[in-house]
Amino acid sequence: MRDSQPTVLPGFGLTLGFTTFFLSAVVLLPLAALVLLAASTPLHQLLDAVASPRALASYRLSFGGALLAACINLVFGFIIAWTLARYEFPGRRLMDAMIDLPFALPTAVSGIALTAVFSQNGWLGSYLDMVGIHVAYTRLGVILAMTLIGMPFAVRTVQPALLEVQRDLEDAAETLGAGRWYVFRRVIVPAVLPAILTGFTLAFARALGEYGSVIFISGNLPLKTEITPLLIVIHLEEFDYRGAAALGFVMLAASFVILLTINLLQAWGRERMVRRGQ
Amino acid sequence: MSITLDQLTKRYQGVPVVNDVSLEIGDGEFFVLLGPSGSGKSTLLRAIAGLAGLDHGRIALHGRDVTHVSARRRGVGLVFQNYALFRHMTVAENIEFALRVRRMRAAERRQRRQELLRLVALEGMDERLPPQLSGGQQQRVAVARALAHKPEVLLLDEPFGALDAKIREGLRRTIREVQRELGITTVLVTHDQEEAFAMADRIGVMNFGRLLETGRPQDLYTHPATRFVATFLGAANLILARQGSDGPRWGAWPTALHRPGPEREREVVAVVRPEEIEIARSREDLASSVYLGRGVVEEVIFTGALERARIRLDEAPDAPILAHASGDGAVLLEATRAQFEQRAFAISAGQSVTVGVRRAHVLPTPLSSFTICAPNSSAAERLAGNPLLLDLSSRMKTRIRRHVEPLLGAATPIRDGVASLPGTTVIAAGSNVATDAKWLLDHGVEEILILPEQAASPQRVLIHWTDESARSATLAVSASVLRHLAAEAIYVDVLPEQPPAADRSFGIRALLDARSEARAAHGLEIRTEMRFGVAAQALQQRLDESPGHMLIIGIASPNQLADELAALLAGPRWPVLVVHREREATAHNRSAA
Repeated sequence: MRDSQPTVLPGFGLTLGFTTFFLSAVVLLPLAALVLLAASTPLHQLLDAVASPRALASYRLSFGGALLAACINLVFGFIIAWTLARYEFPGRRLMDAMIDLPFALPTAVSGIALTAVFSQNGWLGSYLDMVGIHVAYTRLGVILAMTLIGMPFAVRTVQPALLEVQRDLEDAAETLGAGRWYVFRRVIVPAVLPAILTGFTLAFARALGEYGSVIFISGNLPLKTEITPLLIVIHLEEFDYRGAAALGFVMLAASFVILLTINLLQAWGRERMVRRGQ
Repeated sequence: MSITLDQLTKRYQGVPVVNDVSLEIGDGEFFVLLGPSGSGKSTLLRAIAGLAGLDHGRIALHGRDVTHVSARRRGVGLVFQNYALFRHMTVAENIEFALRVRRMRAAERRQRRQELLRLVALEGMDERLPPQLSGGQQQRVAVARALAHKPEVLLLDEPFGALDAKIREGLRRTIREVQRELGITTVLVTHDQEEAFAMADRIGVMNFGRLLETGRPQDLYTHPATRFVATFLGAANLILARQGSDGPRWGAWPTALHRPGPEREREVVAVVRPEEIEIARSREDLASSVYLGRGVVEEVIFTGALERARIRLDEAPDAPILAHASGDGAVLLEATRAQFEQRAFAISAGQSVTVGVRRAHVLPTPLSSFTICAPNSSAAERLAGNPLLLDLSSRMKTRIRRHVEPLLGAATPIRDGVASLPGTTVIAAGSNVATDAKWLLDHGVEEILILPEQAASPQRVLIHWTDESARSATLAVSASVLRHLAAEAIYVDVLPEQPPAADRSFGIRALLDARSEARAAHGLEIRTEMRFGVAAQALQQRLDESPGHMLIIGIASPNQLADELAALLAGPRWPVLVVHREREATAHNRSAA
């Protein structure tokens, strides 16, 4: 909407123009190039690239793993955010700062670190190996890496929302006779649900695109622990740009559909609330 | 009784925020807890609701002890300042929350909801969401929600704080009507005295975690017992008067306020409301009041129905002394005048006028003001900067005067004239403080505050008297001091080592008597402790146990300071307040002689 009142940033025309330019240069144009490249590929070649058994297995791992990692982050991210938002304990600030570490590390470093700990002769891996759980070079390792990478998103979106839920709300519910579980289910969760969903979406998107840390711990066995981004790199190394572009297009389309669905769900939820209120 | 509170204490980091509060609230009563922010009133309300744990004390609702019952089973309704509505639920769902928790059937829920919406005049708003309502409407929903489960008690925590004046007025009326219609016992917490007056059947005034006074609004306003209540409930001029057998006097003039006074003249604090002050051209023009003094009008503020004036009283030896002089020593008298008074005699800033008092109320407090007594002016200066003294005098809204007495503690024969030191005498702690104190007592001083250098506000006040005749005076002084400190009061009784059984039971009776007298006569809740041994040693031991103590000790003879208590006073590290009252018998003898 055009706004005649003076604002901090220069006029609407200029800021919208800049927004469009920036999005185009950084997001839309490269993606369009990718789509064009994929579209100019002969159909049989395209199908070979995107529907090969190896590609199908990689989709399953990439999407399934990312979804699972996002679910894990949803639960544990909430618990971490709750602890940091609600309790005062020695070392809280330190813990709070540590949450952001996966943001800052080059992802390859995370991968190396995870492998060192979870490989068969690593600190934890050697003990897990004894009870028959193999983390490194299995799908479990892939999910672990994806969880690590997505965790800050889940925590950092829920934490401020939890801080905003007033203690008075819980006190009110308690005096009205509600037990703890009831208060949690009916008062706290609905209040922070939008934030939880956003956190989930971000964690999912991040896990899907993750490359650096996963390839170190996954072992990259075709059909077993090979993620789609790696398959794309393999195509590139074989100078098969069209195949890489085709796979990239599939990932792009699938991510777009999933993210759009979640966003629509959220919007629908909000709208339903408003409609009920009228 | 709907609500019975018995000695509630709640501490945060060792500091009592609710300090030994006992209170009974009757069925269907509208009780208002009034106090400045941080006085502990909200914590007390949360404790009644079961949301704040207690360190000590018991709570009963309708005769049922609920001290250890959780908030969800107490059967109270609580309304918050910020409404605390569930924003993702509609008005209907908010109101039905408590019913849904109790698994009530949908049809019954709907019926109850409609009843409540009618009660708070919000029919037809069922499907709105809280953000779509105005602040006043949201608070009405909160009231309906708090009443849904038919609680025995309704608790309101500053419910009008976030609303503007017009809406506040309407909501006040609604709440009062709902309360009358349901006959539900209600406790409202506020810092706004006007709101308290408008709504309360009875008001309880809190400060520093203590419940200072309770009573009907008009009684508290006209006959406050404490200076805090006098100044917090409406404006008040505190005037230091001298009360003798002929009644209180200010300056040189009798006040014609006849009240049987003590035999010996002493300083008292008189409360004069601004509306009880008459302003006239000259003394002869005062129509309905007693002459107070002359002064200059500093400022006149028009506020609609009333006019507020501030008057600087002339400096004169016979001029009345205002207790609550501000920091720069300005002695300004507050007066309000109705329209007819303004028409009869118009005043403006700079005008010289005569001031009279129509009605004054003498506070029963034994502590009127402080007078520093030191051998030289530099010592007096040091004492005047003592943090505890500054704290006490500013909280008590009273003066610190200075008196240099070079003969302090000297072994000179007793002279007359020193006894006229007004109020509580303050001296510095030191090696010969016992001699100094005895000297002052011999010269007729009744209360002495002994302050170590840099004494801070104490956390615990120990009370002890060596003689039963000093009991009531010591309790009265203790109550006065404790009203202005966030400290716990502990009465320490000392019995001889291995006392005979008869003495032991007598000791317990003494403790109970002390407690009940403190509560009945001064509204002061005290803890009691029994110790064995020699009084001075036992007290010394108790004081050494932890820092942050103050000692209030009542004695019947000045000689006690010099012998049995000398060790206790030898350079104390804690503030000591000595209260001296002679034995009844001696007093009688003297009057007979």
